[in-house]
Amino acid sequence: MSISLKRAQAIFVKDYKEFSRNYAVSIMLLFPIVFAFILRSAPTPLTGAFALVLNTSFVILPCFTQACLVAEEKEHNTLRSLMMTPASTMDVLLGKSALTFVMSAVVLGITTFIFGYEPASIWAFTAAIIFSIILYTAAGTICGLFSKTLLEATLSIMPVLIIFTVAPSGVLLADDFPIFKVLDYLPSSQLVHLLGIQGTGFTTGELLKPLLIILAWTVALTIWSVVLYQRRLKDE
Amino acid sequence: MDIIQVERIRKRFGDKDALSDVSFSIPKGEIFGFLGPSGSGKTTLIKILTAQLNPTSGQARVFNEPSEMMHRSAQKMRFGILTDNSGLYERLTIEENLELYRQLYDLPKSSIDKVLHFVNLSGERKKKVNRLSKGMRQRVMLACAVIHEPELLFLDEPTSALDPVNSAHIYKGLRYLNENGTTIFLTTHDMAEAELMCNRVAILYQGQIQAIGSPKELKKQHRENVMCVELINGEAYELPIDEGTADQIADWMKRGVIDRLETKEPSLGDIFIKMTGSELL
Repeated sequence: MSISLKRAQAIFVKDYKEFSRNYAVSIMLLFPIVFAFILRSAPTPLTGAFALVLNTSFVILPCFTQACLVAEEKEHNTLRSLMMTPASTMDVLLGKSALTFVMSAVVLGITTFIFGYEPASIWAFTAAIIFSIILYTAAGTICGLFSKTLLEATLSIMPVLIIFTVAPSGVLLADDFPIFKVLDYLPSSQLVHLLGIQGTGFTTGELLKPLLIILAWTVALTIWSVVLYQRRLKDE
Repeated sequence: MDIIQVERIRKRFGDKDALSDVSFSIPKGEIFGFLGPSGSGKTTLIKILTAQLNPTSGQARVFNEPSEMMHRSAQKMRFGILTDNSGLYERLTIEENLELYRQLYDLPKSSIDKVLHFVNLSGERKKKVNRLSKGMRQRVMLACAVIHEPELLFLDEPTSALDPVNSAHIYKGLRYLNENGTTIFLTTHDMAEAELMCNRVAILYQGQIQAIGSPKELKKQHRENVMCVELINGEAYELPIDEGTADQIADWMKRGVIDRLETKEPSLGDIFIKMTGSELL
């Protein structure tokens, strides 16, 4: 599968221009920062509030933004036009995802700074954030590809919002309802475990387990988004 | 050398054949017109030729490769396409839209000026697409399709939203592209456009090719064997072409009473109606 960085960059620049003029979507960049200001002084434990803001931000930033970028292209027939140019599947997905990734990374960096959260391992924390941004960008691509319009894309991220954001709270019910144990394997729950590791008394295994589960989700959703995009190249 | 070869293509959607046993070939450098009403299978055929759709049976070759290979970047560099599935970025200007295509095709900056002149939009380059009329949008989409001066150009009803002045400008540009080596595959239901632009046409009806040939050949095949004569006193006659008519016309000519004399030639629209019993809409 070929990748042309020049073509991916052209798509990135085009998306940036479109996004910066689309105030209905670009205003989403402010929400995580506003949440951080509101919740940093909340009486709940810092890591709990921070995890909630991060998990919500992953849905409203990379997932929602990417779903809107893809769905709007479909609504205006520009995705099909793009597919007819020499840009390969990877050029298009890389170009579109790069904008979402950069914006999400910057906003989540500011959010972390506002919270004043200090991770046990900066490397594990950074890796988890990077994997999660890619994961939710892939989820947004899938939602966008299943939608025909911007409105549909807005609705299509609701299951992602509900399942992934509520999962860490759902795990608390696992003692009464064992079926909810499955929610512990969702990336949002694993992120909560990772953020909960404090100080110096932790093992590498404690860091690796949540990271590997998040990575597995990232790989699976990324592959699904690429396969789905390639199927959308055809009209069958 | 044939740039497109289509052999016994059939495309079935559910229990309906969109295309049935369609065969033809297009040599390099030709402007080939596909004529037919809406729903006759014209767009389906373009989708098969550009790897957006697989045929149910039969095979199509483009640039001497199976049409399924047309999704590759190297092949996509060689063709341009304008269909009703084409779109533009609404919040970007005309120039910004073309800049994207320029970069995707790795072209010099001068290609934007050239293509804007081609579609007669040089003075509008800074206008945002969401403020353009339907006709102007169509011209911008055409500009995106031809910015790389492709070897093969697929055009699906390219002038349907244009006024006669802009259509004439586009025809001139397409002829220029064709003279410089671009083969053009054009679908239309505008008979005048087909006659003006195409070296050969195929008439498609209910998924089947009813006739194929140059407009001149088709007209000749379907010409009625009749002479139309109008005399200066206003009398008009339709006479069979035979020896008696020749003598009669010679007599009128000697007397200098003929105002107008012509063979009765059908238009492509007349041929379509004659072959299908249906209006071309």
